[in-house]
Amino acid sequence: MARLYQVPHHAFMWLLLAVLMATLPHLMRAPGWMMVVVPVLLCWRFLVQRGRLRMPGKIIRATLMVVAVLATLYSYGTLLGPEAGVALLVVAFALKTLEMFRLRDAYVVIILACFVLATTFLFNRDPLTTVYVGVVLVLVMAALVGINHAQSGASSWGHLRLGGALVLQALPLMMVLFVLVPRFPPLWNMQLNPERARTGMSDSMAPGEISNLSRSAEPAFRVEFEGEVPPPALRYWRGLTYSWFDGRRWSQAAPQHTARLEYVRFPDEATPPWYASLLSARGEPEWRYRVIMERTGRQWLYALSVPFTDKSGVGVARDKRLVSRFEIDSTFDYRVESYRFPVAVEGLEEWERQLNVSLPSSGNLRTRRLAEQWHQEAGSDRAFIDRLLRWFNEEPFFYTLEPPLLAEDTVDDFIFRSRRGFCEHYSSAFAFMLRAAGIPARIVAGYQGGELNRLGNHLMVRQYDAHVWVEAWLPAQGWVEFDPTAAVAPSRVEFGLDQALSDFGEQAGGFGANLRRNPLFSRLSHMTDYMDFVWSKWVLGYNQDSQFEILSRLLGQVNPQRIAVALVLAGGGVVLLVLGWVLWRSRTPGLSWWQKEHGRMLRLLNNRGVPLTQGTSPQGMVDAVAVSYPSAARLLQDWQRCYEHMAYRRPGQDPELLRRQLVLLRRKAAVAMRGAPRLMDKEA
Amino acid sequence: MAVAIVRAVEAVSSVVLGKEEQIRLAVACMIARGHLLIEDLPGMGKTTLAHALAKVFSLDYRRVQFTSDMLPADILGVSVFDPERREFHLRQGPVFTQLLLADEINRATPKTQGALLEAMEERQVTLDGETRTLPEPFFVIATQNPITQAGTFPLPESQLDRFLMRISLGYPSAETERELLAGSDRRDQALSMKPVLGVAELMQSMAQVEKVHASPDLIDYIQRLMAHSRNSGLFTAGLSPRAGLGLLRAARAWALLAGNDYVTPEDVQVVLGPVTAHRLQGSAGGGPESSTRQLLESVPVVRRH
Repeated sequence: MARLYQVPHHAFMWLLLAVLMATLPHLMRAPGWMMVVVPVLLCWRFLVQRGRLRMPGKIIRATLMVVAVLATLYSYGTLLGPEAGVALLVVAFALKTLEMFRLRDAYVVIILACFVLATTFLFNRDPLTTVYVGVVLVLVMAALVGINHAQSGASSWGHLRLGGALVLQALPLMMVLFVLVPRFPPLWNMQLNPERARTGMSDSMAPGEISNLSRSAEPAFRVEFEGEVPPPALRYWRGLTYSWFDGRRWSQAAPQHTARLEYVRFPDEATPPWYASLLSARGEPEWRYRVIMERTGRQWLYALSVPFTDKSGVGVARDKRLVSRFEIDSTFDYRVESYRFPVAVEGLEEWERQLNVSLPSSGNLRTRRLAEQWHQEAGSDRAFIDRLLRWFNEEPFFYTLEPPLLAEDTVDDFIFRSRRGFCEHYSSAFAFMLRAAGIPARIVAGYQGGELNRLGNHLMVRQYDAHVWVEAWLPAQGWVEFDPTAAVAPSRVEFGLDQALSDFGEQAGGFGANLRRNPLFSRLSHMTDYMDFVWSKWVLGYNQDSQFEILSRLLGQVNPQRIAVALVLAGGGVVLLVLGWVLWRSRTPGLSWWQKEHGRMLRLLNNRGVPLTQGTSPQGMVDAVAVSYPSAARLLQDWQRCYEHMAYRRPGQDPELLRRQLVLLRRKAAVAMRGAPRLMDKEA
Repeated sequence: MAVAIVRAVEAVSSVVLGKEEQIRLAVACMIARGHLLIEDLPGMGKTTLAHALAKVFSLDYRRVQFTSDMLPADILGVSVFDPERREFHLRQGPVFTQLLLADEINRATPKTQGALLEAMEERQVTLDGETRTLPEPFFVIATQNPITQAGTFPLPESQLDRFLMRISLGYPSAETERELLAGSDRRDQALSMKPVLGVAELMQSMAQVEKVHASPDLIDYIQRLMAHSRNSGLFTAGLSPRAGLGLLRAARAWALLAGNDYVTPEDVQVVLGPVTAHRLQGSAGGGPESSTRQLLESVPVVRRH
């Protein structure tokens, strides 16, 4: 067997640490057996380095690999796809460390470490992960330096410093490449586990689902306003509407209506009549803003009513919300203008009216009767709605995250018995009663509120801001939004969930919510949120569109030639900058004024042809001038005396005076030498 | 004080004719507390110069003629048994003096050379486990024949480094030669010279040397000379920090002899050859003198950038 390559001790420690840290983020997601196997393999390698154990033989290695493949197959059901693939890669990577027989193998491990590190970004792209990957990259570089500098005898800290310097020097170049290298849409679609990838509002709603969402403090999206930020009571972020009620669950639309062609209008499509009427009636936009959305795995986007956008691939739906053509599987940003329409501009189609008044044929009879009775008493739709809202406000209804379970007739049971509920209960009951009275009504789902972050002057909307409210059709005004939850708990809209719940003697979300109330924590979370915001906006949100926008601002016109030139210039500029910095760091201290003056005199004498060598001392200059230009010898003698005072004698004379004299004498000498022919010339 | 020293130089010049530069260097070497190596062919006046220097400063001096069968005890001294008092007592060797003339030092074996050179560096002698300090001041003026001569043991670099300066006298000029031939024996003249300076005054000028001002610009020049000797590839090995310190001390002494209380680059340039030539070996062949001249010419006196 070939002689075993011994990784230098310093390099080995960095390498093992880098391998461990590169696999760590994957291990956290991986099945349990990997959490055990990978560290055990690395320990094995460590003991081999220490001479306690031997490298495994061929048979053991092959067996381990087969077992690893089978175990991965067993855990994920497949070897394909990012999750299973990365899991297999990580195990194989750990096994590879037990196969470092040659220097070449060590290089393979280093390259693999970089690759495994890169796969971290498949699952996590937040700033913290990026910093972590950067740190591990420094370790990998330190190991690489250590392997190559085995003989130099530098300490392992020296290797780490050098590795860090290498990574730091690469950073500016990386930024140039990040900005300038053209971005292509992904060649294939990374299908992450679809169930896990979907977050936020779903396309249907049953009691208890929104309140579940409200326990999460995960960010949903951020909004950056151009100009004024709307007050809390106007921050209703529409995501989708639920028009179909099956007695328990509200969902988007009845099956027979989903295929309506004119429902969503995408920018490159023909304009349906309802869209045309909206376009022609809109005046000045009320709000302009940019939404930076987290990955949801769904198609609907969030915006204030009534939204329009010029983002490609995003259309406006008939129920006044934004819909993306594709599922949002990475950070997504879009610019929105929201308009207000005081009067109905679009009609209510008959199919639409029928959909929005339809109720299950049976159940909840008490509520139906009550609604019909009150509607008759009220005389008009508007009066009926007002009475309902008043009723919610005055009767002892409770706002709670933990409502009791409801019986089969959920609305009856809620209104007449439990009277404890979350926004979905109130909205559901409210919409039900409107429909029972014959008023077209639907549920709007989205988010309400959002926390203003003063640092970035942006709104942060989190999952616990999830909310549903109701929209009713009033013939004169069109679709009008009503929020029954606001009638029960007005503080929900003004101050958010925490305040509303505590008004009703309840605390939201336990520990997390308590922390949120702590001022120090809240400032800290504002800061991290701001960091995250900037990160999503400038790094994750930097896609084909924003690149095109920035490049056309930078280059005027985007074409391959210009990008190539910009790449070369910027890349070269960065290299020059780093080089300049390195030179500047090793520069010698600057010259004093008299040293500069000496240099000027030296140049003068050189120009006049006085024979001087590098090492001619000031006295030597005098002697040389005395030979070449006897008439200037006196001046040079005086100059030399002044210079000696400044440079070599104990300080005593006034430097300013000496300086003026030096300059004066040099000028006089220049004149004298110009006037007088050189002695040598005369001789020649 | 400087005047007195200058008179000493003049007095020596009246005996050693036509070598004023070398004499000044020798005196500068002494007041810089350095040991002096005079290297030349036999009969060039090396010993006469050494005698004259001893006389003119009224120093207590001994002369040792080095031979190849000499032992360290011949220089340092030896313990002898006194039968009357029934104990050993040290019979001090010639090294216990203020000025030691080590004539033809390269004729002795390395062992004997080593014993002397150790005494030069430490200014003390250890005999039978007992350390004895040498008198103050303590100078060694060694003379040697060029190593091309038969029957010599060349001093190794490490020992050459102990000498602050190495000078050579060279043949006299025609006029000096005539004067030399017409006059009486120079060695006798030297031995009958009257002292010009007392030991106390000599010590005083040695203290004065330390106070001569060396400006940052000058220190910078010396540093660049040192660096160039190491980095330029002109020499097989660069100058040691000891050589740098010696160069600065010698330049100070030279400045004092010139009547200045500050060092100028010219002072450095004058003493550079004598101080460094014996410590440097040109990598491209060529004599040590041409190497130091090259060093002088390639290092700018004033920093340019």
